[in-house]
Amino acid sequence: MSDEADILADPEFQRILTLRSRWRWGLSGLLIGAYLIWAVGGIYYSAAYAAPFMGIALPWGMAVGLVIIALSIVLSIAYVRIVNRLEAEEIVERDKHQ
Amino acid sequence: MMDAGPNITAIAVFVAFVSLSLFITWWASKKTHSAGEFYTAGGKITGFQNGLALAGDFMSAATFLGLTGLAFIGGADAMLYTVAITVSWAFILFAFADRMRNLGRYTFADVVAYRLHPERMRVLAAAGTLTVAVPYLIAQMVGAGSLIETLFNIPYLGAVMIVGTLMTIYVVFGGMLATTWVQVTKAVLLLAGGTMLLVLVFAKFGFSIDTLFQRAGDLHPRGRGVFLPGVLYNDPISIISLGLAFICGTAGLPHVLMRFFTVPDAQQARNSIGYAVGIIGYFQAAIMIVGIGAIALLIGDGEYVDEAGRITGGANMVSIHLSRLVGGEVFFGLIAAVAFATILAVVAGILLSASAAVAHDFYARVIRKGDISDDAEVKVSRIATVVIAGVAMGLSVLFQNVNVAILSTIALAVAASVNFPAIFLALFWSGLTTRGAVAGGVTGLVVVVVLIILSPTIWVNVLGNANAIFPYAYPTLFSVAAAFAVTIIISLTDGSERAATDRAGFPAQLVRSEIG
Repeated sequence: MSDEADILADPEFQRILTLRSRWRWGLSGLLIGAYLIWAVGGIYYSAAYAAPFMGIALPWGMAVGLVIIALSIVLSIAYVRIVNRLEAEEIVERDKHQ
Repeated sequence: MMDAGPNITAIAVFVAFVSLSLFITWWASKKTHSAGEFYTAGGKITGFQNGLALAGDFMSAATFLGLTGLAFIGGADAMLYTVAITVSWAFILFAFADRMRNLGRYTFADVVAYRLHPERMRVLAAAGTLTVAVPYLIAQMVGAGSLIETLFNIPYLGAVMIVGTLMTIYVVFGGMLATTWVQVTKAVLLLAGGTMLLVLVFAKFGFSIDTLFQRAGDLHPRGRGVFLPGVLYNDPISIISLGLAFICGTAGLPHVLMRFFTVPDAQQARNSIGYAVGIIGYFQAAIMIVGIGAIALLIGDGEYVDEAGRITGGANMVSIHLSRLVGGEVFFGLIAAVAFATILAVVAGILLSASAAVAHDFYARVIRKGDISDDAEVKVSRIATVVIAGVAMGLSVLFQNVNVAILSTIALAVAASVNFPAIFLALFWSGLTTRGAVAGGVTGLVVVVVLIILSPTIWVNVLGNANAIFPYAYPTLFSVAAAFAVTIIISLTDGSERAATDRAGFPAQLVRSEIG
């Protein structure tokens, strides 16, 4: 228990905790927000959603949907890399402690 | 077209898949002795393998066959589903992957019981698991039964028996190791088959996305109107509810959450969900293109569509017809066999999660309070597997004519409204108490069931009333909000001794959840 209290009080642990939660909620909010705006927007701007995307027959709404899918993949890869690196720092930090 | 007799390729590919899966099960059975090996393959699955298995869990027949059909009917609106599914997996990665893996051992109940009252939380989690798993199993088996009846000319009852027996064999003898490798095999097959279908469809349009969408817009009865959103749902509440059903529901599916524990550590859990997002995102995008291609090709061909524009054999047959049209009898057989294999692999995973809820969470932890040997627990799990499979098979025969979509909606909505709020608040809110979590879980369950009964799917389509009292297809916006509200209010006003223990446990849980 005191071990855990020690870790919790460590400013380095707190720094990493804050960073991780910033990424966690930032990326979640970004993607879920993008989805909801795109999904609900379809009701009000349906004509624009069905319009051809930059000169090809693919409709705008579906093009943006595909972009959100691609964004999910890109942000997931970024998140995995960032947090893997943070975790490596964290382990180095903990080893210094012991 | 469909009465051309059994397809040789379909039978050959299917028999090959079943033989391979039984070989995997035999191999896995020699490595499956302890409870840890039975529930989570001893935590020895790699990130990439687990990523494939996770993607496989979600690329069920419902997504592969159902969503292509939905794209055919709903056009652009089908994308509300495919995008929500991909976003939901990225959300699971960001919010749940690390902390779940660090806190749990076998099931998500380990996580919600970490600092809260262990027995009460496990009863809640086991109930949440079963109310998700049983309707989901029945939905898959009823869908499988009708599909196999059409594809292989096997009677419905026979199809249910084949699926039920095979899934029981995988789980009872091979546990999570067999379930994972069967799922990986099927995921590879489905990805390969889906990609071939995508390429063949694309080839019909000279690999031009412009020509493909142009032709679909020209041929569809609604013309380019097929790309207008708002055909399936045209109010914000329905759309937000649908989004929440997938985003919170996927994050509350017990058989998905259980896979977090099959890898050695949090880093591998994170990597595996990263892979899953990539695979699922690719597959969802491919499904949309194939679905729109189906509009252009099937309506253009005319053979598979009747006068009224309805697809022969129902909307679920869209990708099956399409595979025959673009790839001939051999490719059609391959896709049909892959669809069958998909169902088998998915039901095995769901069955294992249900058996873990009964044997581990309920029997070993609540009834025996942890006083049970490893051998005995594995034995109880195997008995539970057989019993649950038997019940699911019986109910699938009884509910042969039930609408599969209702069962899937119930399963996803319960996962979103009962499991998700408990896990989410247990992980991130220090103020959560046992009393709050239990009250919120019960509220979520009751609201989901009542609203689904009052919704068009049951109130109008099943009970024959003229107008639904609750006008939306998905209850999730209301049920998730109610579950969160009740959990938070009851937790805040909870002055019990247990509540103090629950809150005091958070700092230790936080450290453990972050560093493992």
